[in-house]
Amino acid sequence: MAQPIIQVQEANKEFGKGKNTVAALKDVNLEINAGEFVAIVGPSGCGKSTLLHVMAGLEQPTAGRILLDGVDVTLISERDLPKVRMQKVGFVFQAFLLIEDLTAFENVQSVLWPSVDHTKEKQEEKALEVLREVDMLERRDHFPRQMSGGEQQRIAIARALVNDPPILFCDEPTGNLDSKTGENIMKIIAQLNREKNMTVVLVTHNEDLVKFAKRTLRMKDGVLR
Amino acid sequence: MMVYAILFIVVSDGYLSANGLWYILMALIVSSFYAILISQFRRRDMSVFKCIGWSNNDVMLLVIGEVILVTVASFLIMLQISFEIVGIVTYFSVSMAPGTLLAMIHDFIVIDAVPLFTTFLIVLSMQIPGLFIAQRRAMSVPPMKALREE
Repeated sequence: MAQPIIQVQEANKEFGKGKNTVAALKDVNLEINAGEFVAIVGPSGCGKSTLLHVMAGLEQPTAGRILLDGVDVTLISERDLPKVRMQKVGFVFQAFLLIEDLTAFENVQSVLWPSVDHTKEKQEEKALEVLREVDMLERRDHFPRQMSGGEQQRIAIARALVNDPPILFCDEPTGNLDSKTGENIMKIIAQLNREKNMTVVLVTHNEDLVKFAKRTLRMKDGVLR
Repeated sequence: MMVYAILFIVVSDGYLSANGLWYILMALIVSSFYAILISQFRRRDMSVFKCIGWSNNDVMLLVIGEVILVTVASFLIMLQISFEIVGIVTYFSVSMAPGTLLAMIHDFIVIDAVPLFTTFLIVLSMQIPGLFIAQRRAMSVPPMKALREE
């Protein structure tokens, strides 16, 4: 059987020191296979976003191991972690996190700017391709402030796809959107999972989004159930 | 950019005077302050770039590039303005009698070639300490910062 693309082994994460220590993750174990669509559901503050950040290598766990596509991100130096993120993961955040001074096209392309593997022409070609995929080609010259929340999230999805990552992490991707727009965004994400066999990890408190996932995990007080 | 343009005017006027060192010190302070401001202003962008896979070096280059770009752009603006004013005065054979408005504008804004280029080099070199500060700040921004602040 193929090795899971994401392995979380005995992961713990604590914030604060001494008396003020808060355990956000408690001995979390999790395996996600390539091509799965997993939803992690739980109330605010249960540690689901922390788990996502730890899995994606944005934060290091206090203890435990995280393997992304066979690479133990807990053993990788801060200096080399961005390379792993660049090659293996794409992010979609609740707050979109687009760069306000860049156009939609530049926001998408910016992921590839430091890449030595892509020439400028290739970068542009790739950025246009993913913008077409999320149906935002016509808005490529618009700045984030000129777009609606749904459009900004589409651009954020395009940005997450432009480096062809095998894993897509979505942190409350519909949190800042109305229900109809949120549904459309989820359809795009589900389509990526179906058609590109992309592994999707969705973190949400919204039970309505569970229907898009193939597997649902529930989290409470830092423990995965 | 306006601040830098004014800095060019002031430093080019004063760096050869008896108080030249003070003018160079002023260039140092303004340049360092600007580099700090840029690295502060761009903290969210820096952390977003780190989230999407940029390394510390890539982010650092972005900040340094912005600081240097503003300096070069300000230099080119002052060069262009000086060309334009000298060109207008020469082309229309405008009288430059002392005390006239045009003479005052000319004296205040137009920077001769040697002082302008020298000031450019002074400002560039005085930026080095500020760039070190910006570099340290760029490296210290965690990728999680953007997420926590939103």
